[in-house]
Amino acid sequence: MKKFILVLLMVGVLLVSGAFTALAAEEINVIYMAQAAYQPNEVRDMADLFEELSGIKVNLEFVRYDEQHEKVVSSAVAPIPTYDVFSLDLIWTAEFASKGFCVALDDYMSPAVKEDIAPAIMDAFVFDGKTWAMPFLANFQLFFYNIDMIKKAGFDAAPKTLEEMVEQMEAIKAKGICKYPWTDSWNQKEGLTCEYVWLTGAFGGDTFDKDAKPIFNTGPGLKALEFMVMLLDKELASPKSLTNDEPAARDDFIAGNAAFTSNWTFQYGSMNDPSISKVVGAGKMGLLPVAKDVLGKYTYDTASVSGFQGAAILANSKNKEAAWKYVRFITSPIVQRAYLTEMPVWTSVQTSAYAKTMDPVIDIKAKEIASVHHRPKVPPYPEVSSILQRYIHSALTGKMEPKAALDKAKTEIEAVMGL
Amino acid sequence: MSIRRQELSSKQLALILLLPSILIILCVVIGPLVFAFYLSFFKAEPIIGGISTKFIGISNYIYYFLKDPLFWSAVRVTTYFTVVSLVIELILGISMALVLNKSFIGRSFVRSIILLPWALPTVVNARMWEWIYAGSSFGALNGLMKVLHIFPADYDKVWLGFDVPLQNIPLIGNFMEWVGASTALNMIILADTWKVTPLVTLLVLAALQTFPDSLYEAAGIDGASSWSQFWNITLPLLRPVLLVVLVLRTMELFRVFDIIYILMQYSIRVVGVYTFETGMKFLNFGRGSALSFLVGLFILGIALIYVRVLYSEET
Repeated sequence: MKKFILVLLMVGVLLVSGAFTALAAEEINVIYMAQAAYQPNEVRDMADLFEELSGIKVNLEFVRYDEQHEKVVSSAVAPIPTYDVFSLDLIWTAEFASKGFCVALDDYMSPAVKEDIAPAIMDAFVFDGKTWAMPFLANFQLFFYNIDMIKKAGFDAAPKTLEEMVEQMEAIKAKGICKYPWTDSWNQKEGLTCEYVWLTGAFGGDTFDKDAKPIFNTGPGLKALEFMVMLLDKELASPKSLTNDEPAARDDFIAGNAAFTSNWTFQYGSMNDPSISKVVGAGKMGLLPVAKDVLGKYTYDTASVSGFQGAAILANSKNKEAAWKYVRFITSPIVQRAYLTEMPVWTSVQTSAYAKTMDPVIDIKAKEIASVHHRPKVPPYPEVSSILQRYIHSALTGKMEPKAALDKAKTEIEAVMGL
Repeated sequence: MSIRRQELSSKQLALILLLPSILIILCVVIGPLVFAFYLSFFKAEPIIGGISTKFIGISNYIYYFLKDPLFWSAVRVTTYFTVVSLVIELILGISMALVLNKSFIGRSFVRSIILLPWALPTVVNARMWEWIYAGSSFGALNGLMKVLHIFPADYDKVWLGFDVPLQNIPLIGNFMEWVGASTALNMIILADTWKVTPLVTLLVLAALQTFPDSLYEAAGIDGASSWSQFWNITLPLLRPVLLVVLVLRTMELFRVFDIIYILMQYSIRVVGVYTFETGMKFLNFGRGSALSFLVGLFILGIALIYVRVLYSEET
């Protein structure tokens, strides 16, 4: 019996000391959410190159988007974190920063870095005056339209305003070119908040004001929801929109079931892939239209929503220096230039001659990205967004009037935020 | 030496052998349970390196009972899911067991093949039905409907949609909307029932096999029809096993999470999903814990009612 306990003890000591040696070595653990962005093999490639250059070993873990938040939280709560670096969705910035989960990176960043990244992108990761993640991926929504349908309906170009778009849609529907000219991802998920944020922008406003107080129940926010409800009432928007997520909305569009949609950058690739798309050639990408009376308010007369991802360092990481080296590397202009499958965050890369040759639509993307609106930057964001989704969805399904729905959403959100 | 060994082989040995399991259960079951109960009296949030707590008494519980509209709608929709699933499972399960209890050619083959759905992991089952219900022309169910000419070729039904079943019938429609029923939920009930009915069948069949034939022979001689044989002999004898099935299934159905979360994420808020959302997505650990204990309380209440109704009558 005694011998047995002794052996157990020895094994225990070995395990513990082994764990500590592993910690002491230059090694970092990274968690990355694999979604419609850089794919795992690309992220692994970048890490391999970094290992070569720095001698720091990178352990990568890929998870689904829905798992990332919880995994990061449980790692942050632990005394010794599982991860050093994680990819941070911009909507978590306020939450994680206010809880002290990640390190403020301002001291690491040189002024040159801040100069070369557009404020619209950098701001997404700023909370309380500090920057909490290094911009890594710049996703945003764009306008997709079927030029053949527009021409068949008797127009020559894509609409510049929402009013023009409605006119074109009514013509398309009246001529029987397409049953439901608009499709979108309006199911009760985060995507719905995104659609609502850009539409609020298209009507000239934001969902929350500068002091992070909800203002969506009047003016642009209300107009945006009324616009969505109107599209459904007039049967211009497909009823399937209410259950679509983004890939489903894309499938609708590339199957030729709709003339217009808004979606993230990833739709461009699928739309032009002849093996899955029926609208190769007809499907075009452009700037999202704004309401007529908003023309002139924004530089490029368009409004979009941001879906940026940053690389952040966990505050309880024991290896912050190595972690920063890795973050700096994967977000560097030179790496982004090599992986143009995603929109680079650096202005110098976006405007480089190389990027313009490699990506013919980078001009459109650059204009749209400069016109993004962020989702509210408030610490209890998941709860705030969930309330918004619930009430917007009940207005869309006709269970509530838009004004009543938004008023109730505002009251509940204020209760959650303690306003 | 030999005496000592004998001493050890009694209670002490048992204790030593049980110790590892007791330790593990203490660490992974009792510990977290007690901790969660403790947390349910606090406003608890994760912060870096730990959890911040502020004692607020029973406010979390009061919040759910009095202030939170979502809680009661979650309870309603969970009850709908539980009751409808249970009724279907019981009717199907008992009838399948009755058939399998009769002798026919290939019975043992059918008996074993019927268990296959039960062997599927819930996640696999959910993903499979996700493909079947896909609201596009790629969906297997839509495909089947088109092949059978029930749907026209250009129509695709959104199976996991939010329209309320029987919405146009006055009172029933209102009731359905009130409980939070939707096409999606009914489809999920179908998918879940498909997987779990074999378990009910198996349990009922096992009980049926213990019933003596003499009872039925005697009843046959007395001229009882097969329906009254079932009603007066089989069903009363099945009572203990039905109690087990009811308690087991209610427990599992009321705390349903996986299949609904996988297919619908947070858009159908049964209490399991709502608990997870509150605790893990909104990071309100205190409220999440309170909610999970409330779910436990509900299940306990239902189980007590079952025991009263089904057990006391017999004794």
